Amino acid sequence: MKSNDSWLSTLNPTIKLVTHLLVMCVLMAVTDPRITLAIWIVALVIGLTLGGWRIPYLLKRLLPYTIFFVMIFWMMAAFGKGEHTLWQWGWFHITEESLNNGLMIALRMLGFVTYGLLVTSTTDLTAMIMSLVHQCRLSPKWAYGLLAGFRFIPLFQTELAQMKSAHKIRGYKQKNSWKSFIRYALPLFTQGIRKSERIAIAMEARGFTGTRQRTYYLTPQLTGKDGWYCGLLLVVVLCIAVVLKI
Amino acid sequence: MESLLECKDLSVRFYNREANVLNGIDLSISRGEKVLILGPSGSGKSTLLSVLSGIIPEHVEAEVEGEIRLAPQCGVMFQDPDSQFCMLHVDEEIAFSLENRLIPRAQMDAMIEAVMKQVGLDIDGHTPIETLSGGMKQRLALACLLALEPEVLFFDEPTAQLDPVSRKEIFQLLHELADQHGQTMVFVEHTLDGCIQWMDRVILMNAQGSMIAQGEPAEMIQRYRAEMQEAGIWQPKLFPYTWDDVQDHPSHPLAQRLQQTLQQRRASALDADQEGKGGSAVIVTEQLDIGYRQKSVMRDMNIRIPSGEWVAIVGANGSGKSTFLKSLIRLERIRSGQLYFQDILLKKWSDRDLYEQAGFVFQNPELQFVTDTVFDEIAFGGRQRNWSEEEVHARTVKLLQEFGLESYQDQHPFTLSLGQKRRLSVATMLLFDQSLLLLDEPTFGQDARTSAELIKRLQQRQAQGTTIVMVTHDMDLVDEYANRVIVFDQGKVIYNGAPYHLFTHPESIGHHAIIAPLHYQLMKPEKERSII
Repeated sequence: MKSNDSWLSTLNPTIKLVTHLLVMCVLMAVTDPRITLAIWIVALVIGLTLGGWRIPYLLKRLLPYTIFFVMIFWMMAAFGKGEHTLWQWGWFHITEESLNNGLMIALRMLGFVTYGLLVTSTTDLTAMIMSLVHQCRLSPKWAYGLLAGFRFIPLFQTELAQMKSAHKIRGYKQKNSWKSFIRYALPLFTQGIRKSERIAIAMEARGFTGTRQRTYYLTPQLTGKDGWYCGLLLVVVLCIAVVLKI
Repeated sequence: MESLLECKDLSVRFYNREANVLNGIDLSISRGEKVLILGPSGSGKSTLLSVLSGIIPEHVEAEVEGEIRLAPQCGVMFQDPDSQFCMLHVDEEIAFSLENRLIPRAQMDAMIEAVMKQVGLDIDGHTPIETLSGGMKQRLALACLLALEPEVLFFDEPTAQLDPVSRKEIFQLLHELADQHGQTMVFVEHTLDGCIQWMDRVILMNAQGSMIAQGEPAEMIQRYRAEMQEAGIWQPKLFPYTWDDVQDHPSHPLAQRLQQTLQQRRASALDADQEGKGGSAVIVTEQLDIGYRQKSVMRDMNIRIPSGEWVAIVGANGSGKSTFLKSLIRLERIRSGQLYFQDILLKKWSDRDLYEQAGFVFQNPELQFVTDTVFDEIAFGGRQRNWSEEEVHARTVKLLQEFGLESYQDQHPFTLSLGQKRRLSVATMLLFDQSLLLLDEPTFGQDARTSAELIKRLQQRQAQGTTIVMVTHDMDLVDEYANRVIVFDQGKVIYNGAPYHLFTHPESIGHHAIIAPLHYQLMKPEKERSII
């Protein structure tokens, strides 16, 4: 999670997150594929105008999900139930209802992904966590612990890669995926635990207490534009839902 | 002088152990003093540091007896650069120290800038920490400590994970800091070069956690040489002598010793030159291009590694040494060009045959262990290939003996000491009497004794005909053992030949990251003098 220099990245992370979660709730309540499509297009427009997205970036990010989209759509559409048959061949049985359902579910998935991407592609991880501290009263003990934990992810990746090569050289054959998971996980966990213990000591040695009695370098604020963004987006989405329903 | 830290009759015991880690330590450290604590591993030197810095018993539980007086504000720097940070960016990390001290936000920017300047961290404040090199990370760690405005700075092997060039820089930085601000510093180290000459006092501990002696560095080095060797401490190459002395007086004992070494190297280099380049090659590359994903790291490599040689690969961090080593046995993909292993194209080898011919020793041994006991660890490859149990047993026992691990054969590999783990990781790669052994920084972070033991085993293997290719930063190792050294720099091979010629003509590659061993440095003024 990194911030880009877009307008969206200047918003308060918590507000951005909550707003988008609310839009996702609306998406869940909607059953008409036309409305779902419209709400998804709103997300694309926001991304391209306020989120600093470019078309190539968008395509690269959404391409894997487009494959999902086709798969979900086909599964729902071709094997669904319904009265008004449109096309039938062998096992495949496409009806008006199943077509609707397939489109709706697939578009809903795309909508979720795009609204989520709007948050993750424009928010700095540290700012997000600090915003949770200030706006949601998250305890610093958890906040700084989480941040320290995020540093482990790339470390785990390189360690896992090395373990896999080591096993390859030794001629280890993966017979049972559960067994090989245990084999890889155990050394990773032991190293992880040892490392986190060391980090905890280093943090305490630098005077970290975990209480709220501290000052802050980053203090994400709530400003007027957060309210405007939240309000406007929700109004637009609800309007679409209501207008297209009629 | 005013005493800042003090302990009287200090004993420490961890709750999960029966014996004391520290026994009856009396110590007093005054303001502005630089103290170095030495001792074998397990002598409790890190524990002593933790007690003096207040980590024990406040953050780590232990039974502590005796009188202790601590400094009100102190900072501790640890050995692993990666496990002392909790934030993602440089400025946030330094700010973390300030936040803990309740410094108002308005003052933070100036203070962050000041400490970054002080430690020579000349980068943008919003740089992600993960992109920094080990040396830069330790600079950042120091900046974070200085932001605490500590009265005493503690260092727990701060350079153990660094290459020699970064180590030298960090020590230089600490030395300047000590001089300018009269900072009190307490060190635990096992490398003496770079720090011993500016210490005020050396404290020597024994394996039982008692203090043997303390005194002036020069006196301690001379009087307790044997104890220090036993403890695996890297002996200083120069100290207690100074370079000017050695350089100006050819009769100086150290100067004579260095001259002698130099003569030996010259003689063996001449021998090697005369022998010529006969024999078969284990590895031949033609226009090889390696790297990961879209990025190529090394281009257009034409290298020939004759069998039976000991080859060292050197170069700055990130110059592609490890990638090259991995490419040699297909752990990393080749981007273009040809690579022949024993005269057959690498891609034509089956995994099974290839790894019977070549072994790879990783930098971190723990990540390469695959079984639960030392014995099974070595026997693994044989059992995978359905050898008879007698043959597995015979070969394994032989290797256990060769690497001095027979009394640990039923232990879990993780419970071994650092040096034993390293030896085990090499032994596991020799079950098939592999003709090629690749090692990624095998002596990295090891003390003098364990690395000497490892080198001895490798030498025996080379004498039996094994080709050894290793990545290293240690130029003394290169000089003493390697037949060939290959220097990587900015995507190219800039030197491939005998170490002697590299060290005697370092200017030929214009590479400043290579510090030639001491005896070669003696040569330079000699030449200049003869010109005059």
